[in-house]
Amino acid sequence: MPYPPNTVRALLNTDQVTDITRQVLTERLNAPSRQPVFFSADEYALLEVVCNRLIPQDDGMQTIEIWGGIDDRLAENKSNGWRYDTMPTDHEAYRRGLTGIEESAQTLFQQPFQQLATDQQDRILGLVQTGDAPGAIWQTMPSERFFEEMLAEAVENYYSHPLVQETIGYVGMADQPAWNRLGLNNLEDREPRQL
Amino acid sequence: MQHHSINETVDAVIIGTGAGGAPLLARLAAAGLRVVALEAGKQWNPAKDFATDERSQEKLFWNDERLSAGKDPIPFGNNNSGTGVGGSTLHYTAYTPRAQPDDLQIRTDFGVGEDWPFGFEQIEPYYTEVEQFIGVSGPSPYPWGPARQKGYALGPLPLNGAGQLMERGCRDIGLKTSPAANAALSAGYYQEGVGYRHACTNRGFCQAGCNNGAKASMDVTYIPLAVHHGAEIRPECFVTQFVRDGAGKITEVIYIRNGQEERQKCRFVFLCAGAIETPRLLLMNGIANSSGQVGRNVMAHTGLQIWGEFDEDIRPYKGIPGSLISEDMHRPDKADFVGGYLLQSIGVMPVTYVSQMARGRGLWGQDLKRAAAAYNHVAGINILGDCLPYEGNFLELSDEKDIRGLPKPRIYFSNGESEERMTAHADKVMREIWDAAGAKNVWAFPRNAHIIGTCRMGNDRESSVVDANGQSYDIPNLYISDNSTFPSALSVNPALTIMALALRTADKFLKKS
Repeated sequence: MPYPPNTVRALLNTDQVTDITRQVLTERLNAPSRQPVFFSADEYALLEVVCNRLIPQDDGMQTIEIWGGIDDRLAENKSNGWRYDTMPTDHEAYRRGLTGIEESAQTLFQQPFQQLATDQQDRILGLVQTGDAPGAIWQTMPSERFFEEMLAEAVENYYSHPLVQETIGYVGMADQPAWNRLGLNNLEDREPRQL
Repeated sequence: MQHHSINETVDAVIIGTGAGGAPLLARLAAAGLRVVALEAGKQWNPAKDFATDERSQEKLFWNDERLSAGKDPIPFGNNNSGTGVGGSTLHYTAYTPRAQPDDLQIRTDFGVGEDWPFGFEQIEPYYTEVEQFIGVSGPSPYPWGPARQKGYALGPLPLNGAGQLMERGCRDIGLKTSPAANAALSAGYYQEGVGYRHACTNRGFCQAGCNNGAKASMDVTYIPLAVHHGAEIRPECFVTQFVRDGAGKITEVIYIRNGQEERQKCRFVFLCAGAIETPRLLLMNGIANSSGQVGRNVMAHTGLQIWGEFDEDIRPYKGIPGSLISEDMHRPDKADFVGGYLLQSIGVMPVTYVSQMARGRGLWGQDLKRAAAAYNHVAGINILGDCLPYEGNFLELSDEKDIRGLPKPRIYFSNGESEERMTAHADKVMREIWDAAGAKNVWAFPRNAHIIGTCRMGNDRESSVVDANGQSYDIPNLYISDNSTFPSALSVNPALTIMALALRTADKFLKKS
């Protein structure tokens, strides 16, 4: 890891973050593991495996449940304000998209996606991303748009997490009372140095 | 704050409290009119409610789903919309350049697009007034455009890392730059009729909400001024319908508050809901559209971003995001496109950056994590360029209903040849700047931002929805004041012009009635 651990967590205990910032980040840090509400157990398990290929969590850190955030949003019927007109509703897109990934796995390797080797899984996801994945579902829904939407949501869920923000050296939440050292190579004491 | 009964016939109802509604509301209230503003979103208390966290600030975006169609579908939500008292200014970057005089005469100069129905001299005094009132920080004299009556209210904000890098790259290839004009205070500022506002603390979070009032969103500028003069702000009121009399004039505005229908009697209506919700509301009610132009002429600025990684430690979360500007490409030599564009340096918050990298570069797996790890070393340049109206770019009501049971809008957008050529030109220029500045791993994120058009103003009622004063050709007691009335997109960010135009519309209305 290029930055030292525990930076954001330490800053949350200081007056360099506002009360409301401390509150929302602490809640996110302490969020319990989630059982699916929108997805079936099978869909949820597949989504977890897919998310772990999109953003591998193999660095020994606490697991960030990217898929839990997706289930939560869909269960709450929340939107990010738009969708591609060529796509069905977000709910239907995820349901059909996960089925489509499974179909592609069966067509190419005659096995469930979850039982494939990671390089085979990546090959399927790569075909979904480029719009070349086989299967009936992808004849009716553009796989590249499904991939883009799912990837963007996964990435946003992951990089919103304070533990992940520590890994990229982001401490922008510690903005109190001000940032006075601006400009190139001009760091404040509370900004972590790269290891 | 003053409260009006719904049975009282107020002088005017203003729908929307963003850059189009708030200045106009303040002007009408100051003239002694009894005015009520209906705002779909909440009244926030930024110090208490706004976390320095992108995820929790998504509450500032207009998140009712819109359908994005065409060859270049436009993202909404965090890209283009806002909700809450203050509207989209709650999360605008506060970048407030003026349009230049020739921006208003694209048709005269290029033979395509539309001219504005009045000249620059009509809007210039309002630019000055807005800049002085809200406290725009910027360089004086300003290096581009005509000489000004007055310098900016405050000196420019300090340059951040991205600004320094763009300055370095531009100097190397011979482009002129300047610290940009931003509607965030570089020093404490006393605002007439409102009080004292604190200086910017360089927290770089403009696009997700300012928590100390340094950024001139409407909730800390024209809204308190309007309330000071007796206006009523009614938050969480979603307008759905209009009641009209036999002569076609609007007599009541119907809205939903707490799930209940309410009605407000009024003499005049000012529709200031932005370039999507304004035409959507008119189309849902089937009014003000004898021209057939409601929802047509969707324009969106070319907004290509070029990102690069640098050896220097940048920390892109610090400082005003749009720190530096160049308008040297306003009308570039030998251009093969219509109009021009400005260049700005950009800082960025991490979730926004990594999300764009996922969509724009298609990175995932270890590639994505490696690129994200470089976050503290990235800086961007962005263009903001003109866009022509096209027959195929429009807004319509879809058959799909949103969570309120209202038809979702579908917006068709495809860049034309001019926009594509402009983007290619800008891609080359920005890569040259970043190469000169020492960037590695340079990548491009194509985008369009700011919805313009959809209720065009003009002198011909056959081709325009409102006249040059913002008054509907069909419904004499209906005015529109927002980015929907712009006949052309301009080569600058729209917020300052929306505010200036709102004051002009208010003055024209007051003079007439």
